[in-house]
Amino acid sequence: MSAPNNYLHCPLCGFEFIRRESACERGCPLGKYCKLVCCPNCHYEFPPELRVISWWRRLFTPSACPKPPRDLFSLTELNEGDHAELVRLTSEKVSRRNTLAVYGLVPGSRLVLQQKRPSFVIRVGETELALEADIARELVVKRIAADATTGAAS
Amino acid sequence: MNAEIITPLPPPARTLILVGNPNVGKSVLFSKLTGKFVIISNYPGTTVEITTGRSVIGGENYAVIDSPGVNELAARTEDARVTCDVLRDHPEATLVQVADAKNLRRALLLTTQLAELKRPMVLVLNMMDELDKVGGHIDVRKLSELIGIPVVPTIATARTGIHLLEKSIAQAAVPERLVARLNSQRPPPTAAANLPCQEEDYQQNVERLARVNEIVLQVYTRVRPRKPTFAQRLGWWATQPLRGTLLLALVLYFTFWFVGLFGAGTLVEFFENAIFSRHISPVAIHLVDAVLPFPHQHKHEASEYKLEIPLLPHRSIELFSSTEQVLSPAYTVDPGAAGGAWTGVLRFVHDFLVGEYGLFTMALSYGFAIVLPIVTTFFLLFSVLEDSGYLSRLAVMVNRIFRAMGLNGKAVLPMVLGLGCDTMATMTTRILETRKERVITTLLLALAVPCSAQLGVLMAMTARVSWVAAVFWVALMVAIAFVVGWLAAKLHGGASSDFVLELPPMRRPELGNVAVKTLARLEWYLKEVIPLFVLGTAILFFFDKLNLLEKITCFGEPIVTGWLGLPRETANAFLIGFLRRDYGAVYLLDAATGPNATLSPHQILVSMVTITLFMPCIATLFMIARELGKRTAAAITVFVFVFAFFVGGLVHHLGRWIGL
Repeated sequence: MSAPNNYLHCPLCGFEFIRRESACERGCPLGKYCKLVCCPNCHYEFPPELRVISWWRRLFTPSACPKPPRDLFSLTELNEGDHAELVRLTSEKVSRRNTLAVYGLVPGSRLVLQQKRPSFVIRVGETELALEADIARELVVKRIAADATTGAAS
Repeated sequence: MNAEIITPLPPPARTLILVGNPNVGKSVLFSKLTGKFVIISNYPGTTVEITTGRSVIGGENYAVIDSPGVNELAARTEDARVTCDVLRDHPEATLVQVADAKNLRRALLLTTQLAELKRPMVLVLNMMDELDKVGGHIDVRKLSELIGIPVVPTIATARTGIHLLEKSIAQAAVPERLVARLNSQRPPPTAAANLPCQEEDYQQNVERLARVNEIVLQVYTRVRPRKPTFAQRLGWWATQPLRGTLLLALVLYFTFWFVGLFGAGTLVEFFENAIFSRHISPVAIHLVDAVLPFPHQHKHEASEYKLEIPLLPHRSIELFSSTEQVLSPAYTVDPGAAGGAWTGVLRFVHDFLVGEYGLFTMALSYGFAIVLPIVTTFFLLFSVLEDSGYLSRLAVMVNRIFRAMGLNGKAVLPMVLGLGCDTMATMTTRILETRKERVITTLLLALAVPCSAQLGVLMAMTARVSWVAAVFWVALMVAIAFVVGWLAAKLHGGASSDFVLELPPMRRPELGNVAVKTLARLEWYLKEVIPLFVLGTAILFFFDKLNLLEKITCFGEPIVTGWLGLPRETANAFLIGFLRRDYGAVYLLDAATGPNATLSPHQILVSMVTITLFMPCIATLFMIARELGKRTAAAITVFVFVFAFFVGGLVHHLGRWIGL
């Protein structure tokens, strides 16, 4: 049996509440013998879950809300052949950022990921650059359409 | 070497400096501008090569300097420091910026930096043919208007546009507009050692790139790219996991064949046996005997010569062979001859020149007949690989493996070369960026990479032991390379360099350029390395005269017999082997596989392990001292010797304990 301050989850509206917040009618004749709880949000009456089951559910069901769609990725997450625009360099080392800058790789530059193994190879304009995975991880990019990089501004 | 040698002729009225990003064809353009007369020298105090030449342009005499390729004008790498120094040392010089037309953006980034120096400039858009191939077009006239300096399109390999460039040099202008547009007060580049990169520098570069993008948008158009060429595809394959590995295996095998088998085998055999021992040494002996007569008779020995085309180690097609009796440096003093002081002096000088450890008979034959062919084949192949653009791709392929040793992919070349000649390989560690990487590579070369002379003997010795032992030997060497490399990387201070490497487009190397580079490097080799062989031989000679060789052998004997469990004669082999590798190695080989073989398979394995780990030869030691300084050389030497004996003894005792 669930304790008075057990968290409950309304199966109808998804509202989460504590057992003692149950919206039972004051004058209900069943009193403490009633096994049902009433959702304070939608007044749906339901039998509360056993604690073991609710633990199980919390442990193993995937979270209800889907991850928000991302538009920023680390270069390592892209696939070979993807076109991308560099958004940010997260490297702490300014020398490393500058090394990339002199190859034309600054925020706003467009690049193509040519291969990921054994090292990352990207193309920036007409420059082909080989990078280690450590450095590729620090490049934050967003995906762009393939033909965008063939333009003059690539 | 230094400034005096660079300008021995009357100083030309003007100076041209070629500046540009790496791999834009500066050196090809340079050779087209200057013709054959060039001097490649190390910039004072550095290991960076700069090339100087002469040219007559528009009736005026110009000195032309080819500076190392740089991506930005900041003295952060050794190459860039040299370029900055060259620019500073010639404040009156006209700058010719060479650009890869395909890569206008990066070229203009450098142009904006050069503009801040306020020097007259010409921009050369080289490799216009390749721009056309990728489907790009540059509005040259508009670009010239926008940046305010002459812009000359060229194809240096085909001599297209060189004439136009010569005419434009007179119109070189200061790109005032670029400076005005950027509006930044940047101090001229200084020679201060590796300036740390400031946030400000980075921001300036970002700002410059934004300006450059504006210009590029106005002048550069690109139609749909055409189908990738074969060279482009080859370039992509070269870095892919499967195809790249196949290509890598092919290239490594060819390198081994060309340098290790053809250079170190066929050519060395030819120079050593057909040229030196049959012609040069006898002539030198005769000459010295004529000048310094004292009563003695030189012995004769058989000189065998085989002309072979190698296929695999120990497999070759024999074309020709001959045996001849030749004069040998060994001699007998006539009995009963008076042994006065004067005779003694004559004999001493005689021995110094043509004795067993003589200048002609050993040092020069060693330097010219044994090492020069190896070096020539290697430099030739290296120049071809360098110009084809494969070297960077090779580095990409092996980067991960080399990371485990605390190095990065760029160290693969010295390591492969080490299988040919460790002295040479130690010299080429210069291509590595940080001192830490140079030290580790040198250490691994001295320790775990056997040179071709050792390798030949070791191969023959493996024939006498079981294949388990042979595999154990190879595995042990590889494991030692990784463990020692990893430990050295952990213990040595300083950072490893970031692995950000530009992959230049694959292209067919231009023969003339390869030849000029190879010849210039050979000239440098003759000036720098041959003296080391002479010095090494001289030391050996004095050791021999003072009977120090035997004393050192006596000193080393307890270690050899007690700890390694080898017969006492091998102590001599180790010592001689260090001073001249082929003598010592042959001695061991004789003891292992000769008619009176005295070594058991177990002892053969122990000596194999020990001589592989041993420092290859005294010339390597000198080269390490020259490249890394005496202290580091001493530390490496002590470590290598102690470690070689330690591991050799370990193999001996563990092997006996297990009962192999």
